[in-house]
Amino acid sequence: MTVPVLQVQALRAYYKISSFGLDREVRAVDDVTFHVNANEIYGLAGESSCGKTTLIRTIAAATKPPLRVVGGSIVFNFAGRAVDMQKADDDTVAAVRWKHLSYIMQGSMSVLNPVRRVERSFVDFAFRHVGRRMAEFLDIVSDHLRRLDLSPDILSAYPHQLSGGMRQRVAIALATVCRPEFIIADEPTTALDVIVQNGVLAMIRDVQKELGSSLIFVTHDLAVHANLCHRLGVMYAGRLVEEGGTREMFRAPLHPYTAHLVASLPRIGNTEPKKGLEGTPPNLADPPSGCRFHPRCPLAREVCRAQVPPMVEVAPGRRVACFAVTPPARAA
Amino acid sequence: MRVVLDLFRYNREFAIGVVLLGFVVIFAALSFFSPFPPNDAFVVPPDVPPSWAYPLGTTSRGQDVFWLLTFAIRNTLLFGLAVALISRILSLVIGLVAGYAGGIVDRVLMSLNDTFIVIPLFPILVLFYFVMRDKMSWGLLALAMSCLGWAYDARLIRSVAMSLRTREFTETSIFSGMSMRQILTQEHLPYVMPIVFSTLMNNMNWSIGLEVTLSVLGFTDINTPTIGVMIYWANQHTALVAGIWWWILFPVLLVVIAFVGLFLLAVSMNEHIDPRSRLNRVTG
Repeated sequence: MTVPVLQVQALRAYYKISSFGLDREVRAVDDVTFHVNANEIYGLAGESSCGKTTLIRTIAAATKPPLRVVGGSIVFNFAGRAVDMQKADDDTVAAVRWKHLSYIMQGSMSVLNPVRRVERSFVDFAFRHVGRRMAEFLDIVSDHLRRLDLSPDILSAYPHQLSGGMRQRVAIALATVCRPEFIIADEPTTALDVIVQNGVLAMIRDVQKELGSSLIFVTHDLAVHANLCHRLGVMYAGRLVEEGGTREMFRAPLHPYTAHLVASLPRIGNTEPKKGLEGTPPNLADPPSGCRFHPRCPLAREVCRAQVPPMVEVAPGRRVACFAVTPPARAA
Repeated sequence: MRVVLDLFRYNREFAIGVVLLGFVVIFAALSFFSPFPPNDAFVVPPDVPPSWAYPLGTTSRGQDVFWLLTFAIRNTLLFGLAVALISRILSLVIGLVAGYAGGIVDRVLMSLNDTFIVIPLFPILVLFYFVMRDKMSWGLLALAMSCLGWAYDARLIRSVAMSLRTREFTETSIFSGMSMRQILTQEHLPYVMPIVFSTLMNNMNWSIGLEVTLSVLGFTDINTPTIGVMIYWANQHTALVAGIWWWILFPVLLVVIAFVGLFLLAVSMNEHIDPRSRLNRVTG
């Protein structure tokens, strides 16, 4: 097997806040292990505030206090060159970013500076990473935009003159103009209606296919995941609870949380009312003991309260952290 | 250029402001054609009321009010511009850095800033005059006033910079590896420019007003003719008691015109420079 482009090992990232002599620790990402292969779209699903954004921020080494990486490692492998984001110095990280690793931010509609023309944003953000002369760079940008069905005319427009979908596509164009090997997309389609969303998703897929890069795609919208991703990881309360190929995950979810997520999707012809999940997501400053899902889990048993279920590979490429699937005896 | 023409046509404040300020600037420019050097006295008969020979009359010191006024308004405008420009640079740098850097840098800069806000300006400037005495000059006063005049606007700019810091485009800039200096000058500076322009005019008004006040009381270099200095000399010669009203009326009138012009420009500029509100005007 080839080396994965991204290998995340037992990553823990906490928000540490101390005010008025009181120390609080929010465990936004706890013990997460996964990898992303070359030329693959990896989906990250989970409800709001389950730590998705924190996880990818950490991966992009875009952490700032109070967020701190407490343990674990993040290793990228760009064309045979391994980069450990935790150990690498600032210059290395800066050299990797944008050229090899780009990040489409949450709310990426406002990635463009509202008082600068689009062209200036391209020059400001991407010019230095391309390493060509200005005229060549602008040619590259125009070509790239044309490939993404955007008229190069928009370069001379201000962001407010573009529609939401166009702005979104410009943001994606901006992130992919350097042809990075790894793209992180944090909810790039949340603010769009389904039709525009479809267009943007198709565009992301095309870009990914053309560049052959890897992509982490974060959203809480399972329909988007089903549509786009090769593999899917489901997060709950800062932990990865299940991972596998998208198709198998939807066909036969193993973790009770995933099962609920999948069951909540509307299906054509199905008129039964959907059952909601009792309770609310836990407070990450004071998470439940053992399995973090147990207060809401219909299958919860004694051991779930006491022990954290480990991530166990139940089938090739399929991992799940649940005692109901892998009883403690087998897990140990 | 078309922009300016459009503004002139559609924005009444701008049109009036330009006309008023244009009048004042042309008046100031006339000083280059003056037949008399500004500090020469008794070159014309004293105390002549406005007439065809002396359109604005003459002073008790034998100066032609019209030509003297051209020098005075030129110096006053330049003074205001110098103070405004220097203090704009100070408030921009301090406001942007404090707002962006945050933390300890912000706290240090802002405590300095607050100190300048609460300092009573007028006594300090008077004190400054007494310390400097004969060394007091026009440039020195401009420098002193710009060092005192940046604080309010630095706070204003800081507040905007703080909100800019959390925007996605700032985070993207950081991610793309731009340095703090690049982010501030390329990304944040264009955003705060409208504010800076509008405060520029207001600051000019403020500094001209303060300069006139100081001069009238004689706390500046009284040998450089400015509007304030002119009024100062008029008072020294008890112009109002002696009935030489034109010595006081015309300088006051001119500085009021300059004030109103600057104010109107500040208001209309503010609306125009931001590309978003420019669009609002087209559609709305």
